[in-house]
Amino acid sequence: MGGTKVQRLSGMQKQVLSLYRGFLRVARSKSEEERRNIESVVNQEFRRNSKEVDRKNFQYIEYLLRRGNKQLDQLRNPGTIGLSSLQIDFLKIN
Amino acid sequence: MALRAAILRHVRVPLQASPKLQPWNGSIRSMSSHDDHLTKEEVVDRVLSVVKDFPKVDPSKVTPEVHFQKDLGLDSLDNVEIVMALEEEFKLEIPDKEADKIDSCHLAIEYISNHPMAG
Repeated sequence: MGGTKVQRLSGMQKQVLSLYRGFLRVARSKSEEERRNIESVVNQEFRRNSKEVDRKNFQYIEYLLRRGNKQLDQLRNPGTIGLSSLQIDFLKIN
Repeated sequence: MALRAAILRHVRVPLQASPKLQPWNGSIRSMSSHDDHLTKEEVVDRVLSVVKDFPKVDPSKVTPEVHFQKDLGLDSLDNVEIVMALEEEFKLEIPDKEADKIDSCHLAIEYISNHPMAG
């Protein structure tokens, strides 16, 4: 994403960035340790996908967005302490 | 009514803790006078120091006019992280629509110095 040339963001890019922001926001509500953990996992996931996923593969990106939003909803539940419970999901799918 | 009371006694609705709602913040702020609103210089200093502290940024390149992606070689994910760091520094929550527009120190300084809740 991005690079040195700055383009206007597409609708889909905005959705991705908004999801990223959502994860970073929810991380703030967790313990300091869990927060760092969430930030590092989420950061790696997004960076990896931004390099590996073809930016024209809209169907797959939409799938990733749906999956990410679902995980974000789970994390928003105050009962979910952190990603450790969701991590299995990350590993399984990738 | 008796039935309602009986039901209410037995039904437990779980409390949803919402991190966004911080009622005390608001009331504390409403007591503060206008005089302690941030000066532009202070906003500039603090924005620059947040950007300089960002791990991928070369601090010597950071000026009040610098563009995050064009001048500092950051990407859109870094951009999100910087804006989030600014939110924490100034105790703000910047809505997505605004946050997407903040792509330079200049715009960050403008946005924050015009924000009545920035602290």
